[in-house]
Amino acid sequence: MTRPVLLSALLLAGIAATAAGNCAWAQANGGGRALAPGVKVEVAPAPGSGSAPAAGKVDETALRYYARIGDGERLEAEIARLRALDPGWEPPKDLFAPQPTTPGVDETPFWNLLSAAKVAEARAAIAEQRRKSPSWQPSDKLLQELDTAESAGRIRSASDTKRWQEVVDAAAAHPEAVACNRLDNAWRLAEAYAELKQADRAFDTYRTIVSTCPKAKERRDTIFKASRYLSPDQLRELTALGATANPAKGEDYSTVRTAEAELETGRLLERLGNAKPGALTAADLSRIQGIVRDKQDADGAIALGWYFQKQKNFAEAQSWFSQANGWAPSDKAAEGLVLAYNGLGEKAQARAAASPWKGKSSRIDQALKAVDPPRGSGGGRSGPQGPSELDRALARHDFAECLSIIRSSIAKSGPTAGLLQQRGWCLLEMKRPSEAEAAFAEAQAMAAREPAKGGQSGGGNGAAGTTRTPAASGLPQKATPAQENAYGQAVARLATGDTVGLTRDLPRANMTPAQKAEIRASLMATEANRALEDKRYNDVLRLLDARKELTPEPRNLGILRGWALYNLMRFDEAYAQFKSVDDRLSTEESREGVSITWKTIYHDW
Amino acid sequence: MTASRRDVLIGSAALGLAAALPGNLRAAPFDGAAWRRYAERFLLPEGRIVDTGNKGISHSEGQGYGMLLAVAAGDRAAFDRLWGWTQRVLMVRGDGLAAWRWTPDGGVADRNNASDGDMLIAWALLRAAEVWQAEAYRTAAAAIVKALVSGLLVEQAGLTVLLPGRDGFRKGETLVLNPSYWIFPAIRAFAALPGGERWGKLSDAGLVLLSKARFGGFQLPPDWMTLDAAGTVGIADGFKKQYGYDAVRVPLYLAWDGYRDPYYFRPFAMLATKYGGTAVPATVSLPGGTTTQVAASVGMLAVYRLAGHLAGAGDAVTVPPLAPDEDYYSTTLAHLSALAAQSLGIDP
Repeated sequence: MTRPVLLSALLLAGIAATAAGNCAWAQANGGGRALAPGVKVEVAPAPGSGSAPAAGKVDETALRYYARIGDGERLEAEIARLRALDPGWEPPKDLFAPQPTTPGVDETPFWNLLSAAKVAEARAAIAEQRRKSPSWQPSDKLLQELDTAESAGRIRSASDTKRWQEVVDAAAAHPEAVACNRLDNAWRLAEAYAELKQADRAFDTYRTIVSTCPKAKERRDTIFKASRYLSPDQLRELTALGATANPAKGEDYSTVRTAEAELETGRLLERLGNAKPGALTAADLSRIQGIVRDKQDADGAIALGWYFQKQKNFAEAQSWFSQANGWAPSDKAAEGLVLAYNGLGEKAQARAAASPWKGKSSRIDQALKAVDPPRGSGGGRSGPQGPSELDRALARHDFAECLSIIRSSIAKSGPTAGLLQQRGWCLLEMKRPSEAEAAFAEAQAMAAREPAKGGQSGGGNGAAGTTRTPAASGLPQKATPAQENAYGQAVARLATGDTVGLTRDLPRANMTPAQKAEIRASLMATEANRALEDKRYNDVLRLLDARKELTPEPRNLGILRGWALYNLMRFDEAYAQFKSVDDRLSTEESREGVSITWKTIYHDW
Repeated sequence: MTASRRDVLIGSAALGLAAALPGNLRAAPFDGAAWRRYAERFLLPEGRIVDTGNKGISHSEGQGYGMLLAVAAGDRAAFDRLWGWTQRVLMVRGDGLAAWRWTPDGGVADRNNASDGDMLIAWALLRAAEVWQAEAYRTAAAAIVKALVSGLLVEQAGLTVLLPGRDGFRKGETLVLNPSYWIFPAIRAFAALPGGERWGKLSDAGLVLLSKARFGGFQLPPDWMTLDAAGTVGIADGFKKQYGYDAVRVPLYLAWDGYRDPYYFRPFAMLATKYGGTAVPATVSLPGGTTTQVAASVGMLAVYRLAGHLAGAGDAVTVPPLAPDEDYYSTTLAHLSALAAQSLGIDP
């Protein structure tokens, strides 16, 4: 049975809420709840699209349906809508009395199918019913809901297959399929216009969304979506509109206003990464700095550090790397810090910054070479008088230059295992893993041939150590050159995607425990990615958890974890996961996760 | 000649309407003169229907259509000749189904069956059994229906569907289906046979699939579609990705079975209306919507006129008279449309 007490109360509330003619629209958007998971049956037609029923007769089919299934929220909205259509209309007194909605034919089964997202099945059942009872006609409301659901599906599939004109046509035929309560489709429509090079219409569509859809979050997300297609000026206009137009009660539009600034930051950080010195204005720079500080964004701080480092503003660089290392210690941050201190001539500080990672991170070992230049290597200059040409190239992250120096060095004085190994690292940095793997293998072979020198013991660590092992070092975990080579090969194999072979060979590989752990972590990350592709979501979590034991989870894997949780329908956890990633640094990826999970939880597609 | 053919069509329609009025919608006889002309042109003495648009071959579909029209015209002798040739020449597979294609040069050219051909033959036999009170036809029909159930009806994604032939049509987990093989009135007749429940499900599934298989601007069904294990439909690869000569029969069969929901007829009516009801393109690529230069035949226009009626689009389509050399398929569609319209009490 229904719940008469509650529903009566809702009925009254519904009547009370029907003050303004257009409030059904806002209510339907604000108070949407799915009848079944993932499905919405909208109540309000989009403005200008409704086919008003004949005067004097309102269609109470949907109203009675909502009453029967006890969906108070929709009932309320439907009452509001009907009163908006016909101010003289009163809700029927027998709303809660069980009765067939249309004489002879009960529409409930069709509504149930529609609610369960079985639109085709609903169509089939209706056609069958009409065959059996030719005089019967389904209610307008039911047909309208079916049309809308189908159009929405059509817009989705046309947009997925990049048939932009069909997206536009389908939306034009059924504007309610791109109303606020189907925001995703409205975005798809705007995207279709943009792809069809109808920039004005794309902008108009975005503008309609941010000025009519009541939720701040929707407006904010729309601005992010639009950023792909609109000019900075248009985005500014959009933001201004979104922050002020048609405000709804209880919504805080300040988040809309900040969207533009965040977009700006994202763009600036991106520019920062490949900026030539002085490419950014002081204003831009200070804005980025403010935001990075606000968000305690270590990645952003590292980017800033490199920006200053490249300008030889070592003090500023040191301060940002330091900041990054404080917020989230990482060998990346420490690497910058080492090089910044070195630039300042503070070698002791540089060594101190390196110490937690020394021998554990190739990055750090690399950076240390700038601090304590190895003898007899690189550009042929021997002696301790300063960083070699090669080391300076490495410190600049100029890997093409690294290759060129090594090439001329080999041409001049022949190959050494150390040079070949270094070549491997530079090739890896340049994303040429197959060549890198070959270089490491060559280095390994060369090391085996080179006569042992120095006082080190052990079979695999002959003179190949020249480039990487200053005599001062003596840490137990220090990788031998042979281990470095094996490690380099493993990294290269990871990059080429040879995970099966690598997994097989790893236990027997000659590497330090730290190196093995790092490779294992990378393998698990690769496996986790693959598991997600194969839809083995529990495996994704298992792998990521195991990986997390070895090393902190980076941002991209955090997003991966979010999707695994999402697909396991652990939506709350997925939302929390995406949110935490997004809070640290909001990007399109993280926003997408937050937005989709949010919509799924709140059935707000 | 041309004028009289047109007259015949109108005459048969008037007859159908008159017969329909008392309430027996199925009682309208197909006009004898139209049938005689059809038989003169397409039925050879040995009992095979010639596909004149297709190098003079014969196929199970043609035999089925010929048998249906013969029953409708009350020509038992012709029916027996058709059924005899079908049994003798095509039903050589040993499983109760017909080989689908026969050529004058090579005989049975493709031993695979075509499910729609088998269905048409069985349905014609059932109608013949009724009209002529002959149990032998019913027994033969039941055998074909049984063979279809065991070999061609399969379950996919919670739907009972019809494979177009015994061999092929499965690509991994995905099935290739032909929407126009859902001959709804035949399926209903089979469902009424003892143990016919699965045919009822096939009919239900057909409506579901036709609601899902709507592509392009007109939302038309493709000639060949896919259905994957998740219930998603697509346009089949390896065939022309189009709506055309096959799928045009979809509204014909729906109408013939008494469906009148405009939703199912609107795509076809929209296509016809868009082209002014005259030079309707014979095919439309899906989902792109590119149309061919070739115009829809008279028989196809007859189907569009019927679809227009049921979509509530009125008589937007004008059907010209059949030409003296109108081919087998067009002529057949025209007559079948007339039969379907008669059964509904509609002026074709």
